[in-house]
Amino acid sequence: MRATLRRTLGLAWVVPALVLVGVFVYLPLVQNLQFSTLKWDIYSGAQEYVGLGNYTKLVEDPVFWSSLGNNVLYAAVSIVFQVFGALLLAALIEGVRSERWQRALRAIYFIPSAISLTVAGLLFYFIYEPNLGPLNHALRATGLGELAQAWLGQESTAMSSIIAMSQWQGFGYSTLLFAVAIQRIPAEIYGAAAIDGVGAVGRFFRITVPLVREMTGLMAIVTLSGAFQVFNEVMVMTAGGPNNSTQVLGTWLYRSGFVRNNFGYAAAIATVLFVITLGVAVAQLWVTRRRRVEW
Amino acid sequence: MRPRALPTFAALLGTLTLAACSGGGTTAQAPKADAAATPEFSGTLSILTKFAGDPTGPYFENLAAAYTKQHPQVKFELIQETDQSVKDKLKTLTASDALPDIYFTWTGNWADNYIRGGRAADLTAVIGPDTEWGKTFSPGSLAAFARDGKNYGIPLYGNGKFMGYSKSAFDKAGVAVPKTFEELIAACGPLRKAGYEPIAFGNKDGWPALHYLQQLFAYNVPDATLQADFDPATAKLDDPGYVTALTQFKTLVDQCTDTREGTNGVLYSSAQEAFAGGKAAMYYQEILEFDNATSDKVKPDDFGIFQLPVPQNAPGDGAVLEGSPEGYLINAKSPRVALAVDFMKFATSLENAKTLSAPPYGQPSTVVGAVTEDTSSKAVFEGVQLVNKAPKLAIWLDTVTVPEVADAWLAGGEALISGGSTPDKVLESVRQASNSAK
Repeated sequence: MRATLRRTLGLAWVVPALVLVGVFVYLPLVQNLQFSTLKWDIYSGAQEYVGLGNYTKLVEDPVFWSSLGNNVLYAAVSIVFQVFGALLLAALIEGVRSERWQRALRAIYFIPSAISLTVAGLLFYFIYEPNLGPLNHALRATGLGELAQAWLGQESTAMSSIIAMSQWQGFGYSTLLFAVAIQRIPAEIYGAAAIDGVGAVGRFFRITVPLVREMTGLMAIVTLSGAFQVFNEVMVMTAGGPNNSTQVLGTWLYRSGFVRNNFGYAAAIATVLFVITLGVAVAQLWVTRRRRVEW
Repeated sequence: MRPRALPTFAALLGTLTLAACSGGGTTAQAPKADAAATPEFSGTLSILTKFAGDPTGPYFENLAAAYTKQHPQVKFELIQETDQSVKDKLKTLTASDALPDIYFTWTGNWADNYIRGGRAADLTAVIGPDTEWGKTFSPGSLAAFARDGKNYGIPLYGNGKFMGYSKSAFDKAGVAVPKTFEELIAACGPLRKAGYEPIAFGNKDGWPALHYLQQLFAYNVPDATLQADFDPATAKLDDPGYVTALTQFKTLVDQCTDTREGTNGVLYSSAQEAFAGGKAAMYYQEILEFDNATSDKVKPDDFGIFQLPVPQNAPGDGAVLEGSPEGYLINAKSPRVALAVDFMKFATSLENAKTLSAPPYGQPSTVVGAVTEDTSSKAVFEGVQLVNKAPKLAIWLDTVTVPEVADAWLAGGEALISGGSTPDKVLESVRQASNSAK
């Protein structure tokens, strides 16, 4: 009896948190799903039920598909740089014998991550600026003037320029997390491998990579879902232009709602975005759980 | 415990779903506001402006302070936004049914949405053309916010688009003010030889291209066709003048700007600075920018303006000038409509209108007699005279038509600049957007 009472009282403590999560997390999710079935005129407040009409329109919308393609490209590049590249760099930094240099290198790589995405986006907007930007100046000064161009102003280079900036910004954070994971690996394992004559490359692939796989899985989740939620840097640098060439799902959602006044359609994009990120998170969590390293 | 957890969660989710679904429907009809009532001088008046930052930021702040001095019981909540951010702010506030008492608006489809949605108070009784307050405004600016014989908006300032040029740059290059579009293009070569970027242009935001296009459309497409094409219900968008105008625009970008196909990567403010800094000979700008365009390099006496020249044999109306007043609506659901009217009467008094028209603000008031050679800079005064003389104004392309079509024009303009599309393809994409917006 007393145990039941204690359990009930315990639950009561959880109720306020449940209510808050329900109101601020799950209710908007459900509302968004509801809005995605409406044609909503925000000026008159009129809402017309259109069923799956907004989703049918999505399938036929070329900008939606190119936005999704940009998100996939973003994710692919981010996985290469921010997961595998960062792991490699972390291993290199941790392999440096001087602890002072290790600390300095970690700080150097981490500093860009301390800058907000909006600020970094603005900074790179000016770096890429065709007339005044230092990138084109540097190219001209080094005899590579033919490569100077309007990086964000052309459909052919705009998306890759944004992705490059994003990798610069996020690379250090991933590296630092991998460095922490590598530091947790007992030094005796590396010592034993060295005595057995295993070289640096062998130690990386046979010890570091398998023993940080939990962190690798976690980074993959964060990087993938982040790549599908990207918004700030695109908004600041190109707002999805020129000619929608840098639209990603987040910016197309924003544009559909706030520029084209089509909030039901924007809600449909949000639902698709939610399903993608939820799917990625569930799949990655499942994989990570199976790969947990114990020692 | 576990067997009960799932039904409990399901019940919670179900409750949330029902709560969410019951949130639909339409908003309540706005109560009929009495704009002519005697105001009660108390409470907080909220105002959303487009005057954030320098040099316009202090204007409404000073107005609010002066009004509070006269009526100490009246407080103000001033929400100041920029040209870009005011669009988002307005839509967020509209969607959440939280519009302030007074809010900024453009003309055309933008204002129509608020009027159609019952969110703009009917001000005919106080600002109609025959009323005491209405007579203080230029009739054209008042009419820009009128629908079906009723007046809804308070025009604050007029605006028009002109090519600003440096007289000394033109002298150095040995070119005269062009009389035709072809002469304008021909002048670009000598100006470049004289060391200037002929026309500074930044299209990062997309709308600067629309300003060129709208003026060229007015020149190349008959007015009746244009007006029908702005409304998706009647649009055909098959006039050959559109392709001609798009081609002319592309010629201007390729031959007269240094950034050419990279213009989409340049901010309009960078172009403005290039002109003010004496690096560019011309910059296509609004009257509102005139006082910012002059500097140590381009002195007010060196700054001249001319309307974008008409192409030879253009079948449209060569006298049409691109421009439009901008102003304010009063929230029909506000409990302080009469007080809001009184404050806007104060804001548009001749004295305050003169202050608005003078440097550093340089926003040419729509109040008759506010813009004079004494109160405004020479260029602003000249621009306002030309706006007043124009038989018809072509409203900005991104506010005159529905957003879906405007957005297609915007993407099309960018694609044309970058070389990613042709005039025919741009027109086809706009046609598709118009069809889907029907």
